[in-house]
Amino acid sequence: MLEVRNVSKVYEGKIAYQALSNLSLTVPKEQFVGIMGPSGSGKTTLLNVVSTIDKPTSGQVIIDGKETNRMNKRQLALFRRRELGFVFQDFNLLQTLTVKENIIFPLTLDNVSVKEQDARVHRIAEKLGIAHILNKRTYEISGGQSQRTAIARAIIHDPKLILADEPTGNLDSKAAKDVLETLQMLNREEGATMMMVTHDPQAASYCDRVIFIKDGALYRELRKSGSRQMFSRKLWAYCPPLGGRKMNFRQFAVKNVFRNMRLYAAYFSAAHSRS
Amino acid sequence: MIFFVYSMLAFHPQLDFSGQGNWGKGAQTSMDVSQYIIYIFTFFFILYSMSAFLKSRKKEFGIVMMLGMSVLQLRRLVFLENVVIGLASTIAGIGTGLLLSKGMLMLGTSVLALEQPLAFYWPVRAAWFTFAAFALLFVFISLFTAVILRSGTLIDLLKGSAKPKPEPKASAGLAILAAALLAAGYIAAFVVKGVVVIMALLPVALVVSVGTYFLFTQLSVYIIHKLKNRQSLYRSKTNMITLSDLAYRMKDNARMFFLVAIISTVAFCAIGTLVGLKSFLSGFVSASTAAMKYESYAGNKEQERHTALIERELTEAGIAYKPYVIRKKYALDEEKVRRFALIPATDYERLTGERATLGEREALLFYSENVNFGEETGPMPDSFPMRDGTVLDIRENAAMPASLAQITYADVLVVPDAAYEAQPASDDDSISYVYDVEDWPSTLAVAKRLMEQLQRNGEHHSFMARAYELNQLHQSFGQILLTGLFIGAVFFVAAGSFLYLRLYADLEHDRVQYRAITKLGLTEGELSKIVSTQIGLLFFVPIVVALIHGAVALNTLQNTFNANLVKESALVLGSFAAIQIVYFLIIRAGYVRKLKNVL
Ligand SMILES: Nc1ncnc2c1ncn2[C@@H]1O[C@H](COP(=O)(O)OP(=O)(O)OP(=O)(O)O)[C@@H](O)[C@H]1O
Ligand SMILES: [Mg+2]
Repeated sequence: MLEVRNVSKVYEGKIAYQALSNLSLTVPKEQFVGIMGPSGSGKTTLLNVVSTIDKPTSGQVIIDGKETNRMNKRQLALFRRRELGFVFQDFNLLQTLTVKENIIFPLTLDNVSVKEQDARVHRIAEKLGIAHILNKRTYEISGGQSQRTAIARAIIHDPKLILADEPTGNLDSKAAKDVLETLQMLNREEGATMMMVTHDPQAASYCDRVIFIKDGALYRELRKSGSRQMFSRKLWAYCPPLGGRKMNFRQFAVKNVFRNMRLYAAYFSAAHSRS
Repeated sequence: MIFFVYSMLAFHPQLDFSGQGNWGKGAQTSMDVSQYIIYIFTFFFILYSMSAFLKSRKKEFGIVMMLGMSVLQLRRLVFLENVVIGLASTIAGIGTGLLLSKGMLMLGTSVLALEQPLAFYWPVRAAWFTFAAFALLFVFISLFTAVILRSGTLIDLLKGSAKPKPEPKASAGLAILAAALLAAGYIAAFVVKGVVVIMALLPVALVVSVGTYFLFTQLSVYIIHKLKNRQSLYRSKTNMITLSDLAYRMKDNARMFFLVAIISTVAFCAIGTLVGLKSFLSGFVSASTAAMKYESYAGNKEQERHTALIERELTEAGIAYKPYVIRKKYALDEEKVRRFALIPATDYERLTGERATLGEREALLFYSENVNFGEETGPMPDSFPMRDGTVLDIRENAAMPASLAQITYADVLVVPDAAYEAQPASDDDSISYVYDVEDWPSTLAVAKRLMEQLQRNGEHHSFMARAYELNQLHQSFGQILLTGLFIGAVFFVAAGSFLYLRLYADLEHDRVQYRAITKLGLTEGELSKIVSTQIGLLFFVPIVVALIHGAVALNTLQNTFNANLVKESALVLGSFAAIQIVYFLIIRAGYVRKLKNVL
């Protein structure tokens, strides 16, 4: 279904940064893949490349037998809205639309009939527990509700491949469980292929297979065998070497100091001269 | 910069009209007044752009304040920023103004059809004046913006322009009121004629303005709302995103639309009126003035010498002419209210080339229809008593042909030669020496020389030349026309700039939104379509409204002047529309490119 072949991604800038290096990956049909890794390891970048939002610097992404780097911009856009569904880390809901309008947006672009739109939106909203907020505006709903709206939008057109970037990042454990079960159900019942980025081993345990990324390259891979609880425990065990939250913060703090070196230098020299 | 160039024109030593009698004083005053208008306008314009600029930076201010910058420091920061920007732009404006001034002066010369070009001069006074005016303006605005900043809590600042707004609502009552007001105003504008126009002007303008305001704030939102409720339309293709964005923006933009529409209407009307008035006057002058005419009154001893001089000058200049001599005697009709010029039939025949075929007791009457500004002249008599007691039957009663109108302003009676001779002479009698020149514009130089030697109005004669009179008209009218055009152009440019600023204030928000939609799979074609629709509406809705207002106003004006302004108004409105289309295309292209860059 999805094949990532030797993909590299270099962010050009003052200092070029290699976010993905020669990464290859194959996901068969109807598989639910989880992606884990420390912050900044290139998970979102991978998802962007897979979802054709971003172009890889080298390598190929083949979805359902189609080589995405051979398509032009227009074809890509049509491909995205018909075959792919996304849940973004930052939702990307449209402010001027209501929740319902946000959800049906991909359908309106392709001229689906109003009746069909309504039928689908109600079915999905029931499932995700957002039926009562359909007529609200995006600034009137909570982070978790936004996330579920984004999920509803991602799946309304029955995409072949669903890509989700931390879909449970803003949810409490109960809501997260609902969302994950919805995704799992979509995967089992509708046969959708899925790729989900997450930091949470609990969430990852819903996947059939979890891939660990570090510094833009594959690091390790775990497949589910046995019950979800067992898988979850296995995943918890693997997380620390990749850096837990503490690590993340320390990394962040150190990085930050380097980033602001000149500022600090100026500050300290000023303090020095004053004393 | 605009201001500077204008004040440079206004202060130009060669354009000092104040010494030239009433007409010149009026022109000078109008230039002064327009200078103030431009100044006030610039003030609001800069204030608006500054506050748009500040608004887009609200978030930045929020962050620095959260990091501990005090309100006072922030205000000082903004104040200083503004002062620096203001100084820099004033100096830059004067600089570019200086660079462009040569061109502007040349343009001014050609627009004014002035004879000597306006010389370039070192506009110290204009520069100082501009500098002082703008220094004051910027300091004032800086203070103002600092005050604007004070309002709003930290959270408001942090949320900045992205602060969510509820969907705008419109009331059906006010929407209907808007339609009703506009309809009433238009009907009134169409119905009134003549002098009533002046009285109806203010109330109609008021009603239409209020109507326009509600049109934008209520009716437009209402219509969009109705469109949104048509589900099958709303929920297909890009309509959803276009319409809901529009509904949001409409309310935001309504006030600006209103301003732009009214400003553009004023600009249209001002320019339309001036252009119309000018062509009306030119038409009037050229219709009522012979190519060249020497009028000799009773008792003129120099008539031979003068006519010989005219003929010699014309021949020397190689200009072909046909001379006519028309004798005129003036007489009052029975009721002694109407004054007629009596013209012998042979003179009439020679001048017009038509047969008079008059019986002994018959006359032809030609009435002038030019100068009646909507006033009714009473019925024409059907007989006319001559001084010797005979009564002439008026056989024909017709409007005056142009060749006769160029000889006299009075109504004309063509009488048999015998009856003319029988009429006793009086001091009013005169002889017109008309020189018909096919290519009359080429006589300007000759006419000027003759005018110097003969004088326009001598003791016993007067001299007129069409080329000369038109030239005079252009000279004196040009000043006013330039002023008007300039103000019109300033308003128009300002209206365009308002739209431009508005657009760029929204750019950041749009970027976020379009980036999100593109990720979801919006093609570039669809993106262009949405953006074009929105910018198109932004650009054309107020202008179309203004064009309609302007057309109605010019139509009314036409009724007042009793003149046909269709061609001129079409020209004015058409060129505005054309400029606007070009403006739209340029800005749209730039905007789409900017959006695509960040996607
Ligand atoms: N547009 C960009 N330009 C330059 N560098 C970028 C850009 N986007 C991401 N990066 C860098 O690439 C690296 C990978 O970023 P990415 O967003 O893929 O991380 P992530 O794994 O999704 O992290 P997180 O778990 O925090 O979401 C980071 O070091 C980041 O600084
Ligand atoms: Mg990420």
